[in-house]
Amino acid sequence: MAATTLEAPQKILLQTSDNVELKVDRDVAERSILIKNLLEDLGGEGSEAIPIPNVNEAVMKKVLEWCEQHRKDAPATQDDDSDSRKKSTDIDEWDQKFMQVDQEMLFEIILAANYLDIKALLDVGCKTVANMIKGKSPDEIRKTFNIQNDFTPEEEDQIRRENEWAEDR
Amino acid sequence: MAKRAYDGDGPLGRELKVRRIDSIDRLSQLSDELLLRILSFVPTSTLGLCQRLSHKFHAIAGDSQLWKAAYYNRFVRPRASRLPGIKDPSMSSNHLFYSSKLSKWLDDEHLVRRGQETNWKRQYKLRDNWSQGKCAVREISVTEKPPAPPLIVRMHDGVVYTVDSIAGLRAWSSKKDRKLIATVELETQADRNPTSLAVDPQDLSMDRHRLVVGFEDGHFCIYELRTDAGRFLEVYRHPRSSNGMLSAVAYASPYLVTMTEGQLLSLYKFPEAEKDDRGQDTLEPPRLLYSLRSHTVSLPLSLTIRPASGSIIASIAYSVPTYLSGWSVGIQEMRLTSDGELIESRLASAANDNFHSLARRGSFSSPSTRPSSPSMVSAQDSSFGSRDAHAKPTSLSYSHPYLLVSHPDNTLTLYLVTSTSSSLSIGPGSRLWGHTSSVSGAYVGGRGKAVSVSSHGDELRVWELEGGMASSATRRKLVTGELSVRLRPENGVASQNLAAISDAILQRGSGSGLALEHKMESMSVTRGWVGFDDENVIVLREKSQGSQALVVYDFT
Repeated sequence: MAATTLEAPQKILLQTSDNVELKVDRDVAERSILIKNLLEDLGGEGSEAIPIPNVNEAVMKKVLEWCEQHRKDAPATQDDDSDSRKKSTDIDEWDQKFMQVDQEMLFEIILAANYLDIKALLDVGCKTVANMIKGKSPDEIRKTFNIQNDFTPEEEDQIRRENEWAEDR
Repeated sequence: MAKRAYDGDGPLGRELKVRRIDSIDRLSQLSDELLLRILSFVPTSTLGLCQRLSHKFHAIAGDSQLWKAAYYNRFVRPRASRLPGIKDPSMSSNHLFYSSKLSKWLDDEHLVRRGQETNWKRQYKLRDNWSQGKCAVREISVTEKPPAPPLIVRMHDGVVYTVDSIAGLRAWSSKKDRKLIATVELETQADRNPTSLAVDPQDLSMDRHRLVVGFEDGHFCIYELRTDAGRFLEVYRHPRSSNGMLSAVAYASPYLVTMTEGQLLSLYKFPEAEKDDRGQDTLEPPRLLYSLRSHTVSLPLSLTIRPASGSIIASIAYSVPTYLSGWSVGIQEMRLTSDGELIESRLASAANDNFHSLARRGSFSSPSTRPSSPSMVSAQDSSFGSRDAHAKPTSLSYSHPYLLVSHPDNTLTLYLVTSTSSSLSIGPGSRLWGHTSSVSGAYVGGRGKAVSVSSHGDELRVWELEGGMASSATRRKLVTGELSVRLRPENGVASQNLAAISDAILQRGSGSGLALEHKMESMSVTRGWVGFDDENVIVLREKSQGSQALVVYDFT
């Protein structure tokens, strides 16, 4: 186990996919279960940069911004399907603002959060997308996300009829 | 942001990903796992819409895991607060939230145990339709020519069994095709008049079910339905007895209970079949374990056998006339060891819930038209009429712990039966309002789901009675009328009938008085039998010309 009783917050280095080194407080980086586990495996020496091959600098900075804001949150559990993960799509105000980014960045954040294993951020991202889906017609959803309709009109009509029962609420 | 002109959007590495801002479908490129996570945050109505987006979304938004969670959150978790034993859900709510690993499924485990095979979207739709009373209606015509003999109907596991003296014993599928599965004629003279029918709730295997038919001359036959072969097999024939007509039978292999017209109850046990002898075609004669004559039991009654820990319980629920307050209910329970040795026999009758009836007795002057509601009754003046709140029940259904009785005065009464090793008691009855005409039949199932039908067969209600009337939530629903939902057939017979009536009324209004009479005559009248399983409600209807039909209300 790494010592955490240093006077100043311990700094570590992260190396992004585009070979940029970022210096961050260890407790901020440890919002990521992936980094936390890596650090534990490495045994506490924070001198070497940790390579994060799947995340570029721009996205990493954004993710770290979120981690900074949430550094005081209760530590995430390893439990994959935590019961406390409520169904509501409520997102707190700061997170909502944080997620006001273009779609490319939004999906990059989701992928990064998934890769870095930051459950809370992943959920914020997924809820943001869910909110973009809710209340729209299929055509509007397709337009929002550029989804190709690969059904024939007959097929789509068939599915519409099959699902009619679920729609009227 | 740098834009690079890539046209292909194939499985490129993310570094190479096309950077044109607004023409890429980034959502569909996410892994299935992430898409599921996103869709877990949208309501079920949106899932249906998402299925229309593309083939990929059709598969993902229809994923069983999503619907399983939705099913749990809508139908299972809310029940937790209504069940005794799970105290204070607000305190320990976390363990009741859905999780793929450890959810308490309460009484719905049977769905989970089937594991991978459960189509959760389908189950969700089924429950949704039940809760809204939405169903399709089809008819199975069982007899065409009058005069039709009395028909006895039972339903088990998607199969409807009918028996009558002309057409014999028949089995129908209540599933999509509604076809006749098997039929056997009752050839011999002795078999002419079947009087009772019961199906063994334990299945021998997927396609073998056993049932017992009781006859007027006191003998009974056990048949086995082989669905794969499409035929009935007579596996046992009991000699006729001098005790008279068998008015009720119950069968839970290897035990059989019969009740005669003369209120003689007999309990039989068949010898255990050899385990490996699956092809066994006949049963050895049963041993009479116990016989008992009752002087208090009167019709309607309900005979059941259920296995309990280390013993079996045979019970008769029946209606009893009381001098002061009309009709009430009683129950007799016999507990036996698995060898058939009687441990005890005990009786209970409903707590006299009518002691206040003199003050609250409604004057039901026009029971067939007055809409029933709690406020209406309390508003009635308490005239000292001879009519009592409890007329003779029209039907009685017992599925432990629920005992449901239907009355001709538009109401039903629900009793909760408590049976422990030391005591047997029936709780005070609770009146259920909702019907707007006389109730002729009701049937209650194990989880407190009940179906009732009015005597004209035009009003069918589904009730959620779980936990009885003890919980405040249930009482609140009773007052607001949300305890039951009236079936709203999407098409078919019932709506046609309603249309026929309104049509007739219109015509009458314009002076053609005969029209109504004619239309009413062609309308079907139910004999009051009603049954249901997870997917269908079946009602037996009899038209005035004598033809009979099974009406299937399909919730799938």
